[in-house]
Formats: sequence, structure tokens, C-alpha cells
Amino acid sequence: MNIDLKELSQLAPIFRELFKGYHISRRDPELYTQLSNQQDQYRALFKSLGYELTCDTRGFYYFVPEQMGAQVNKTAQRLALFTFILVEHLADQGRDPLAVLDGGSLGRDELPALLEKYRDLFLQAEVTTVDELEEKIMRRLTQLGFASEDNGIYRFLAPMHRFLDVCLSVQQDRDLAASLHSALPLPTPVLVADEVEDDIVLIEQAGDTTAESEEDALARAMAEERDAQEIDA
Amino acid sequence: MIDPKRVLRALTEHWTLLEPLCEHFDTGTLSLIDLRKQLAAQLPEGTPTDITALLDQWIRLDILVPVAKSPNRFELNAQIHDFLAYLRREHRLGLCLEIEAYLRHLERLAGYIQDAFEIRDANDLARQLRLLDMRVRDVLKKLANDEQALVGVAERAKTSDRQIPLRQRYAEVLATWDEYVEPMIQLVAADGAFEQGVRRVEQVLLKLLGEQQRLGQLVDDDLLLRTHARILEMQTTAQLTLRKARELLLPLREEARRHNAVTRGAALALAAIRKKGLDAVPQASLPLHTRPQSTFLGSASQVEAYVYALARFEPKPAQFPKASSTRKGEAQRAPRTAREMIERCEQALPLPDLMVWLLEQEPDGATDELLYWFSRLSRDSRFQRERIERRDYFTREHQVSLSSYALIKPAGTPV
Repeated sequence: MNIDLKELSQLAPIFRELFKGYHISRRDPELYTQLSNQQDQYRALFKSLGYELTCDTRGFYYFVPEQMGAQVNKTAQRLALFTFILVEHLADQGRDPLAVLDGGSLGRDELPALLEKYRDLFLQAEVTTVDELEEKIMRRLTQLGFASEDNGIYRFLAPMHRFLDVCLSVQQDRDLAASLHSALPLPTPVLVADEVEDDIVLIEQAGDTTAESEEDALARAMAEERDAQEIDA
Repeated sequence: MIDPKRVLRALTEHWTLLEPLCEHFDTGTLSLIDLRKQLAAQLPEGTPTDITALLDQWIRLDILVPVAKSPNRFELNAQIHDFLAYLRREHRLGLCLEIEAYLRHLERLAGYIQDAFEIRDANDLARQLRLLDMRVRDVLKKLANDEQALVGVAERAKTSDRQIPLRQRYAEVLATWDEYVEPMIQLVAADGAFEQGVRRVEQVLLKLLGEQQRLGQLVDDDLLLRTHARILEMQTTAQLTLRKARELLLPLREEARRHNAVTRGAALALAAIRKKGLDAVPQASLPLHTRPQSTFLGSASQVEAYVYALARFEPKPAQFPKASSTRKGEAQRAPRTAREMIERCEQALPLPDLMVWLLEQEPDGATDELLYWFSRLSRDSRFQRERIERRDYFTREHQVSLSSYALIKPAGTPV
């Protein structure tokens, strides 16, 4: 296939976003239009670079990571847990979960009640305060293109279908349903550190003032992380 | 015998009162007290005597009838109710079984028609043909009614959430599908009762036409042709109604099924997570692309020492400096930030040897600290780098052998 780079006028921003794990949907009209018009070229180009571009017919594009095996992605787990909770919460209220999660919206003011109601479950995702809920879940949802935030209203975008698909696949999982009624433990996947959030730059001085050097290293790592975020921003 | 004109006149005169009552009667019967209350609300100037007179009139005209065994409860006369429903375009979905029963009757009528023709009984033949024609009209009427009722079901299902609770809205669609559309699909299928019945009647009518030409007319050919045409119309209408029903309800049914599956899946996942933790739902670990991990600088033994220190971590009281005492030694230096180092490096460009520059900047820096900055700065996109030959460098504590870089400003940047 011949790829004319001149035609791929949005290549740089598209790659930058996809590379960050962002899902491009109609929310980003320029990038989305370009991707849907030149879908095959982009796919071929990214493929030759080693990136698998997935085009979901429900209106969004994203990179699929290489085979992860049994590794667990903590961010994905948190976001999936949030989806499960929200679906149940909305259904309990007689609201339509699909209407909310597929293009609908949720007010920031609804978060405290949600956290209170599902405190035990959020605890498993290391979310204990509303700030943490916003930081670890809502902000990640917006960073990855699953939602957008405007004036305290979170609007869910088409890529949320990925999490709704998770609900469907859980529903079809007979083993999981059976395991709920049996005492046998499930095989536990190997837990690895979350790639994005758990970056640790470890610098330890070889000297004998071990405790001090650790503090030093931690402070510097934090300073650098802040710095890196500023640079990114 | 009630005079039809009086019934129609009463319906016309009291339409404004009857129409709102229809909605109540659509959902059930009304007690005399409720009925009086409803009418009193409609007639604020009416006295109780007026209302009693009105109710008496409706009862006399058989518009209102007492509910069996509950003389103080009333309902609309079923015939009047159907007529009003037709006028109000409020259609109740019938049963698929009714259509099937009509079809069986059509088949029986076809048999009688054949018998009447065989014994050359013109009167009976004409009577049976009329009956057949009227029965076909019944089916057509019912199909038209059902189609409107299906539109109503779909419209109710699409009404906004606040008006109809979700479960109820989906329940009606699913029940309609199971009880009406599914059996209709079976009925109207090529080998279903509908097609078979229609074919049987059609064959009898066509045979009759042929025989009349051969043996002479018993009934007018036009009557036969009209009935035949109506049968075909009934067949087409049934297919159209079914198609419309599918178009209206299939997407809603799919939505409902998907909705049920999603909520069930979410509930199942939450139950598993409550019992066994997040890892109990492997599907939750959705593959999300993440930026490759930033380079981790540290030897295996350092990592080991770090983890070991973490594992053996013991809190100890923090010693705050006393205001009175003077500080010993140099003040703790704040850690350098990446931005600070990059700026310093930028100002010093071009650097013939990055490692030499670092040693000059941080003569007392620890080796791994220096190596970290070496790695960080040499990879920074702001600089263009060129590898230089391997040589030894002396830090405060170690001798390091590495191929350093010369850093220059990237091409195209102002000097």
C-alpha cells in the first residue's frame, strides 16, 4: 500500500493522542474525521510502526496494547469497577444506564452519594474520598477519552462501549456466575504495577545514611514528577 | 330496546365528560364515589342532583354498566368502550390467537361454500360467501387495530424515563414481543396457519369460478372476485402488520435485552468483586494502551536494597530542630528538578562532553545521581547529541567508564 504522508495532515496529533492511550471519538471532530477518511492508511502506517489501531464501528479509535497475558491493568480495573457501580446505581434509581453511559451525563454533585453508597467497593480500588474518586477515576476517564468534563458535568462518550462490553462479557461468563456459588477460589492473575501511575524513579545513594538518602530520593522523585507533568501540560 | 339515536346523541352531548373518563376505564372499573368525584371535578357548577341525573341517564342508555357482583362499581359497556377506543385512536393489542381462530373459521366457511356449491344451493352459497367476506373484514379490522396498538406500545416505550419506569417500559415491549409478535411470525410464516388457511380459501374460490363457467352461474362472479381480492388484501395486510411490528419493536427489544444483559453483567461483576476482590473479574482488566514505562535507572542491587528497606520500614520520631540551637553543617540542599537541570544545560550549550559538564556542576554528586542526570539530559528532545569515545570519569566515589555525548543545539533553533 502506498501511503501519502501529505494526506495524513493530522498524523502528529493523532499519534500523540493514541500513544497516550486516548480514545479518539467524534468529540475530537478534526482527528476523528481524518481517521475515518483515511482509516486504511493510518492503520497500515501504525501497523508498520508496531501499533495496532482499532476502529470501532460505534465511532471511536484507539491503540490496543501488545498481548498483555495475565497481567492486570489497575487503571482499567478501576474504570471498569466504576462502570459496574454506575450501571447498578442508575438501574436502582430507575434511570437508564445505557442512556447515561452512551452519550448521557452525570453531575459532579452526584459523586459523593455514589461514593458513600459503594464505599466498600471503591475501597478495593483504593478510592476513599471524593477527591480520589475524581483524581483516580473521573480524571482518568477524561484523559483517556471515555468522558469529557464541562462545568461540573461529566458527559460519557462512545468509547464507554468498551466498558459496557465488559458488562456483557461478564454476563456471558458462566464460570464467573458458577464461582459465586462455589467456595473454590478463582485463579488469580499476576498483579503488576500500573504502568502509568506507578512510575518510580529510584535513586539511592550508596552512602551509609540510608534513611536520609531515601527521603532525599523520594522528595526529588516527587519534584521531578510534578515537573514532568508541568512539561507535559 | 334502546334507541341508537339516543345513545349517539348522549355520546355527542357528553363527549367532554366521557373522554377523560375513558382513560380511567381503560385501566379498570370505577366506584360510584370515584365516578361522582370525577364528574364533580369536570362540572364545578353541577349539583349532586345533576350528577346523579347524568349517571342515571348513562346507565339507562347502557353506556355505563354495573360490574358483576359489585353493584356500586361501574365500567363502560364493552361495545361502547371499543367504539370510543376506536374514536380516540386508543388501541388495545389483541391476541394472535384471535387471528388464528378467525382463520380456522375462514377455513370452515370455505368448506361450507364448497358443500353449498356441490348441492347447487345458491342461497346458502351467497350467505356463506357474505359470511366469509365479513369474517375477512373482521381480520382486517383487527390487524389495523393491532398495528395501531403496536405503535402505542413503541411510543410508550420511547417516552421519556420520568413518565414510565424503565422496568415497566421494557416489560411491555418484551411481553408484546413474546405474546404477539413471535406467535404472529409463526402464524404468517410460509408454512404457518395463516398462509395455509388463505391458500385453502383461495383454492376453493378459484375452483368455484372455474366450475361456474363450466356448469353455469349460481352466484355473481363479481362477488367471488371481490371476496378473493379481499382475501389477498388480508394476506398482504397481515404481512405488512408483522413487518411494521418487527420494525417498531425489534430495536426496542434488542435495546431491552442489551440493557438487561448490561445491568445483569454489572451486578454479577459487583457480586464477584465484593466476595473475592477486583481480580475476580478478569474481564475488568481491559487492555488499555499506555505510554511505555519511562526508563528506570538503578542497578539490580539498588532495587533489592530499596525493596528490602521498604519491607523493614520502621517509623521513627521526627527530630525537629530546636529554635535555640544553631545548625551544624551545611543546610540540606533542595533536590534538583528536571526543569532546573535542563535550563542549566540549555544555557551551557554547546557541551563538548556532557559527563564532564555534569562533574563540574555537581562535583560532590553521588555516582548514581550523576548517571541519572546523564541519562535524563542526553535523552531530552531539546538537545541534539553526538556520541563521543569511551573514556573513564572520576566521580567522588567511583571510576566510571562510559561513552559520553556531546550536546549541541538542535538544527533550526536560533543560536
